[in-house]
Amino acid sequence: MESLLDQSSLFLQQLVNGITLGGVYALIAVGYTMVYGVIQLINFAHGEVYMLGAFLAYTLVAVVGMPFFPAFVLTLIICAVLGVVLDFVAYRPLRKAPRLAALITAIGMSIFLQNMALLIWGSQIKSYPREVLPAFFSEAAITMGDVTLSWLQIFILSITLLFMIILHLTIHKTRIGMAMRAISQDKTASALMGIGVNRVISFTFAIGSAMGGMAGILVGLYYNAIFPTMGYVAGIKAFAAAVLGGIGSVPGAMLGGGVLGIAEVMGAGYISSEYRDGISYAVMIAVILFKPSGLIGKQLGEKV
Amino acid sequence: MPLFHRNPRILFLAILFLAIILPWVPLGVSSNYLLRVLTTAVLYMILALGLNIVPGFTGLLDLGYVGFYGIGAYTSGLLAIHYDLSLWVILPLAAANGALWGVLLGAPTLRLTGDYFAIVTFGFSELVVLLIRNELWLTRGPMGLPGISAPSIFGYTLSQGWQYFYLALFLLLVVLVVVVRLENSRLGRAWFAIREDEIAAQCCGINLIRYKVMAFAASAAIGAMGGAFYAKWFRFIHPDMFKFWESILILCLIVFGGMGSISGTMLGALILIPLTEVLRTALPQSMFNARYLIYGLLLVIMMRLRPEGLIPFQLSRSRKAEQAKARLLGGEE
Amino acid sequence: MKRLGFFLCFWVFMQFLGLTCPSWADSIKIPVAAPFTGPLASFGEGMKNGAMLKAEEINAQGGINGQQVEILFEDELCDPKEAATVATKLAADPAVSIVVGHLCSSASLAALPIYKEAKLPAISPASTNINLAKSSPYYFRNVYKDDFQGLFLAKYAKDIKGYKKVAIFYEMNDYSMGLMNAFLKQAKKNGIRILGKEAYTAETTDFKPQLTKFKMMKPNAIFIPGYAPQGTLIISQAKSLGMKNVDFLGADGLDDNLMLKNPDTEGLFVTTPFIPDKAGPNAAAFIKAYREKFGIDPNWFAANTYDAVGIAAAAIAKAGQDREKVREYLVSIDTKEKAYDGVAGKTYFDKNGDCLKEAFVKEIKNGKWVGAEKQLQ
Repeated sequence: MESLLDQSSLFLQQLVNGITLGGVYALIAVGYTMVYGVIQLINFAHGEVYMLGAFLAYTLVAVVGMPFFPAFVLTLIICAVLGVVLDFVAYRPLRKAPRLAALITAIGMSIFLQNMALLIWGSQIKSYPREVLPAFFSEAAITMGDVTLSWLQIFILSITLLFMIILHLTIHKTRIGMAMRAISQDKTASALMGIGVNRVISFTFAIGSAMGGMAGILVGLYYNAIFPTMGYVAGIKAFAAAVLGGIGSVPGAMLGGGVLGIAEVMGAGYISSEYRDGISYAVMIAVILFKPSGLIGKQLGEKV
Repeated sequence: MPLFHRNPRILFLAILFLAIILPWVPLGVSSNYLLRVLTTAVLYMILALGLNIVPGFTGLLDLGYVGFYGIGAYTSGLLAIHYDLSLWVILPLAAANGALWGVLLGAPTLRLTGDYFAIVTFGFSELVVLLIRNELWLTRGPMGLPGISAPSIFGYTLSQGWQYFYLALFLLLVVLVVVVRLENSRLGRAWFAIREDEIAAQCCGINLIRYKVMAFAASAAIGAMGGAFYAKWFRFIHPDMFKFWESILILCLIVFGGMGSISGTMLGALILIPLTEVLRTALPQSMFNARYLIYGLLLVIMMRLRPEGLIPFQLSRSRKAEQAKARLLGGEE
Repeated sequence: MKRLGFFLCFWVFMQFLGLTCPSWADSIKIPVAAPFTGPLASFGEGMKNGAMLKAEEINAQGGINGQQVEILFEDELCDPKEAATVATKLAADPAVSIVVGHLCSSASLAALPIYKEAKLPAISPASTNINLAKSSPYYFRNVYKDDFQGLFLAKYAKDIKGYKKVAIFYEMNDYSMGLMNAFLKQAKKNGIRILGKEAYTAETTDFKPQLTKFKMMKPNAIFIPGYAPQGTLIISQAKSLGMKNVDFLGADGLDDNLMLKNPDTEGLFVTTPFIPDKAGPNAAAFIKAYREKFGIDPNWFAANTYDAVGIAAAAIAKAGQDREKVREYLVSIDTKEKAYDGVAGKTYFDKNGDCLKEAFVKEIKNGKWVGAEKQLQ
């Protein structure tokens, strides 16, 4: 029978694991929520951008031999461009088409990108080379009894927090952020006001994709594993997080990500490791059915 | 082929005739393989017809179709293993189970908008698969369910490839009759009204939820029946056979063929399923995964260039309507 | 557009018919069914290499009764559905009289009824699930079963390594769970305390919640009856959680060079059907030839497939290309005297089609696989 100290250590460690995972989900969720906010489309291919971020960084570091931080930045840029291209090629032509068509296109792009990655990189799990990060990163930074918080976890959490703050400031303090908020309220009115709707949408895709790609790199480092189908599950869970927080709301996505990450880890640790993924799906279904506006989101009435 | 144009029934009968004599045409010694792939194509036609009901007739996207497929397969497999039942008992039971879950899932969710509905159905199918995978006491989970007995019809047990092919054809005909009847019935017209304009339909007094749930249940029942056949044909089922990818594949079939159109759906299945096999051999081994890539690309291209699919769905294909239309247009054909 | 549709249909059909015609040639075809692409492709590669090497050697010596041997590689991705499709294709090809395959137990299970119905004998060099060979008179294997492997592992864990408290981290599939159950049974008898069992799936990459649970239990060792792709991650993540005093134990699924790429796996022990430095004298020539051709040491997949192809070839040489006769030949190899003396030991079949083989233990030392110093007899 484990002591109370052991039990609380276990709980704290799981909490740490959960918050780290939650940060990652939040980064991806933000991309979903922003795109949904401006064009009311679930960008199924977003999970694949996350995956490609991980792979691009891997290729730059392991194959091309770039040092880590330049590779990191370059990958973010490429992901941003990728997001814009995705919108331009697949979604923009269907701006006026029925929702079903856009949804199907999104699914098609997701499958296409996933299998493209499979073709290019193969299905074997790849790991970032050890030398990528300074060695002390996997060491424990803070240890309280049996609970460890590694430098890598601190790195992930701080980068997540940093970019969330930057994003929040961008949305609320800059003009283009204001344009994004305007478009998510009313696209037509925004266009009438002189906002270049398409440009702002592209910008939204760029930021969302860059953050998604970043999440991919961080996850690749944290678990030391990347594989072409990683986007699929992570994408669904991040979407669940976005819905949980309130789709269309960026702070909602962050909150949703955190909550879902913790719930998943706790569920896996305490209840059942087999149904781990099911927790996300169940949460998502419950939220959609009972409180579609999510934790923070606004309730939108149906206009007839 | 003016004969066929004027009377689609004759075209249909001709194709049916070809299908029936197919196993007996000497196609070389590999006919068993050919039959197996064609049986698979027919199975997917059944599944596609089932899925077709939801987006085709109600305008919603069901991303969780594979859940019903799996429920049907496991119902049939478990029934076969624990009880000794004739096929004619198992199929309806599986279909009923599917319909039940269709209602259970549909009732709370069909009032959602398209995107949310798609996601919820997806979540549902993933949960179903998780359940199948983990509840070992029920389904043997990842060890699969081997040793399902071959189907027995009136005491006779099937064993040859061509027998399964005929059985599949027969089930396809049953489903076709059901779907065509539905299309031309009040129920069907209500569904089309919902698809074209929900709000107008509501104003005409159509009880949206009731009809949507019925469509969903019908779709689920057909999917489950397809799954039941699959279990008895393959005789081994495993949770890995019911991944989300199957839902996508079936979606591809109806998008390519023509969402809502019955003949389009069947044509889509007839082209794309054997294509999988053609690609398996045609492509070099390293490009094995290119098969799926093509399906993804197909979805995107179809939506861009020809969203109605190969054979677009037409509101009414009854002869009376065609004649009325001809009269209206002044004798033009 | 309708016409285009029908034309497409027709074209696909024609292509399709073209495929289904078997290619008649003068060579003897021996198909090898395994995952050659996909996550377990590296296992399949071992099988491929072993098969190719054996075929080349046979052909260099004049083939079988004057005919050259051709290996057909059928990729089934370790997926039950693909395995069944491949099995049907092979069963329908009259030029095929025996199949070497499959690799994954779940793939074998799916293919089994098809081979049975077609009366096509199959010999698996790698499927270790206990239910396989006894379910069909047409299924044989030249690798040991998981009940034996689990037993062996538990004995080794207790007798040689002295583990008293073990936790098990298994994958939810036939292979892993079958192996785990065998281990559990024997561990109970041997007095090893099993602290806990946790499960993962092939898609899991985050093992930390379960590992954290294990960490609090403080086991001597964690047994991972799974495959290398997950095994290497589990060990890394465990180490990053600070589990430094825990050993890791595995079985044939972890025997892959993938594990070597990760420095965290130092000290891992696994059981395996074949180790180059402990193999008998028969193996020396094979190992040398393999090294020359492929540049690495052969793993057990390669060794067993090499033998399986050899057995298949011997069967065809004696019995001709008749499926029933080939099967009878295999059945007749039922005593040690009549055994096929291959590079991975002597193979002979019991009435179920299973064989009794030795297990070896290897460990990762200094980043390389070496035979463990203390083996269990």
